[in-house]
Amino acid sequence: MNELIEQFVIESRELVQQATDDLLVLEKTPADRERLDSAFRAFHTLKGGAGIVGFPAMERAVHAAENLLAAARSGLQPIAPALVDLCLQCLDQVVQWLDTTQGAGDFPANAEDGARRLVDRFAGSFIPVVPPRGGAGPDNAGWADELLARYPAVRAQSVTAVRYAPDRDCFFHGEDPVAQMAALPGLLALRLEPAAPWPALHDLDPFACNLVLSALTQTGVAEVAQALGDARDLSDIEALTSVVSGPAALAQADRALLVLEAQIELLSETQPQGRAGRIAAAGMVAFNLCRHMGRMADADTVADACSRSTADSSPRALQEAIEALLKDMSQKGDPMLRAPQGQTIRLLRVDAARIDTLVNLTGELTVAKNAIGHAAKLAREQGSGLAAMLRERHGVLDRLVGELQQSVLGMRVLPLRHVFQRFPRLVREIAADLGKPAILIVEGDDTEADKVIVEMLFEPLLHVLRNAMAHGVEPAPVRAAKGKAPVATIRLRARREGELVVVEVSDDGGGIDVARIRLVAAERAMAPVEVLESMSDAEAINLIFMPGFSTAADVTDLSGRGVGMDAVRTAVQRLGGKVEVGSRLHEGTSVRFVLPFSVMMTRIMTVGAGGQMYGIPLDTIVETVRIRTESIVPVGAANAIVLRNQTLPLLELAVALGVPRDETHRHETTVVVASIDGQLGALQVDRLGERMEVMLRPMDGLLSGLPAIAGSTLLGDGSVLLVLDMGVLLQ
Amino acid sequence: MTVHLAPDGVIELKDACTIEDAETLQRYLLAAPDAIVDWHLCVHAHTAVIQVLLASRAVLRGAPAGEFLRLMVAPLLAPEEVTPQIR
Repeated sequence: MNELIEQFVIESRELVQQATDDLLVLEKTPADRERLDSAFRAFHTLKGGAGIVGFPAMERAVHAAENLLAAARSGLQPIAPALVDLCLQCLDQVVQWLDTTQGAGDFPANAEDGARRLVDRFAGSFIPVVPPRGGAGPDNAGWADELLARYPAVRAQSVTAVRYAPDRDCFFHGEDPVAQMAALPGLLALRLEPAAPWPALHDLDPFACNLVLSALTQTGVAEVAQALGDARDLSDIEALTSVVSGPAALAQADRALLVLEAQIELLSETQPQGRAGRIAAAGMVAFNLCRHMGRMADADTVADACSRSTADSSPRALQEAIEALLKDMSQKGDPMLRAPQGQTIRLLRVDAARIDTLVNLTGELTVAKNAIGHAAKLAREQGSGLAAMLRERHGVLDRLVGELQQSVLGMRVLPLRHVFQRFPRLVREIAADLGKPAILIVEGDDTEADKVIVEMLFEPLLHVLRNAMAHGVEPAPVRAAKGKAPVATIRLRARREGELVVVEVSDDGGGIDVARIRLVAAERAMAPVEVLESMSDAEAINLIFMPGFSTAADVTDLSGRGVGMDAVRTAVQRLGGKVEVGSRLHEGTSVRFVLPFSVMMTRIMTVGAGGQMYGIPLDTIVETVRIRTESIVPVGAANAIVLRNQTLPLLELAVALGVPRDETHRHETTVVVASIDGQLGALQVDRLGERMEVMLRPMDGLLSGLPAIAGSTLLGDGSVLLVLDMGVLLQ
Repeated sequence: MTVHLAPDGVIELKDACTIEDAETLQRYLLAAPDAIVDWHLCVHAHTAVIQVLLASRAVLRGAPAGEFLRLMVAPLLAPEEVTPQIR
């Protein structure tokens, strides 16, 4: 994909998000002027971006929404839910286009249809805002910009531009078009142009109107439309965006410069292959940019240079034209367009893949550091004189690598906002679908976590939120009967707890009906009845994590499709986290995800079995004990041990992995007691090794199918250590 | 008459010029293409009159009495377009 388009897609997505947030807030608090301005700016910048990359369909669609918001800004259009809906629809369409663009590397061919539908919808539902007539010829496009460029003194005050082309015989109907323009409220500037070139005076029909009148006003579109009366049908009315100043305007100017620089870079490519395409593309972009900024003369210069460059198939003419333009803009141009000088760039946009590479390299470095530790140990054992020095160097390296790792992982940290910000909108939709009004309160969305975790959280969280809405929140009559507020409250909270990140979804719904869970579990024979009966309530609630469990009386299309909480738990566990559920009947349910802050390091303990070493994640190990072999009791085909009056199933690791077991008879054997979801199990191993922190790599390729192996890691001596998946092993 | 040919050949526009004045003005200007149009007493001019002034590129004298004419229209009729300033 063209780098410019790539950048455009990234930025547009951010703007869509910004606009969505603003719109959702506006829906609740229509008087929030700041949000309205912010939404308007987002739409405006979206439109600008589309103009710069040459995506007219999107430009038009977004323009329609922008017009509407402009009317809202001038107080002429109330901020009704319908307005928010329409703007959100526009954003949905934009997202769809962006998705297609990202996938295909170019703008969707059928975008025009979507744009037309949107523009129609905007035009149909609201005040007579006339959409810009796209593609009707060069005279038509950009007239408002041209008008603004002609009257720089009133530019800042201009809110609306109008262009009126009266009928030739309007004088006979008693009309006086100039007087009509004079009557426009807040008129700032007037321009009169001949519709057709002026004939010689003796050929002029004084009773035929040959004028096109355009004007700038400081009043809003709706007021202008009203003042024009019937003339409105013959007029173009545009909400102006030049009133946008401050950060948005600066951003636009900055971007203009960046875009031009990118074009020069593109042109300086020396490879002859594809040169014609590069010239055409750069010329097009620069041309569109000039037009978009109302620099019509510059646009012509660029077009001229482009055709010269194309003719002699050398990018020089175009390159020079763009460089001149760049110089003009950044130095003596519009002060608004001047790039901020001497300001250091505080933020860099870096491809996530580069950070991942850095993380991996740091991991390798950790492994190399461990190898030196190993070497130091060998040296000491062999009594080498280098031992002390090696150990000291290893210490230094250990500290430095540790710091490096911290900073590198810090770079891959994102605030949870990135995933949380999508939920208000989704909850709004789910609430509408289910007919259960609810508000989502988000807290702690600036809590940070590793990018991998932040990105993987969306699906499981969405699932839990859907559950809360579909199963947790009671229908309105039930809530009323219970004396609860008609609008349900759902909280999405995040906080950092040491090395852990806790994300919690809680609702004020009906809570989990434990009796019902036991009933359903018994019906589905998920566990023997006596086991179900002996379970504590907390244990019974955990049954919802069993595959295929769903108590919803009716299956909605939102949830209860069988891919239930087990999928949520699997997803969270894959991230190295766990899920906890708390519930009080009639008061509500809360689902807590406890996640590691970073996914890189895993603390393990090594154990030996069948002459091989394996790793066991330390957080699953409860204790290690030595027991007498006689105390192992066979239970059916399996073994068990009794430890502190508790019977634990015992598994011999070598047997479980199918590797040759150590047949030598011992009086004592080593057992690792592990806890998996509160269930204890014992693992018989040959010997215990050491504890270490390793970077766990998921198994890939041929080995990915191996059960009971969570991943692998490289040890200091260069050997590969397989780390066991205790959950699978002890099940 | 709100359009009037003075003895010295100057075409005078005054008060509110109506659509009918357009034809008269055109006739005067055709007869004397270099004639000066004095509109300092003109308060309002119909579009058709303004159109004749535009098409003929007649030389205008004085600032019209009507504010709208003075601020918005006169600059359009000046040999060099001047940006209107409203404060």
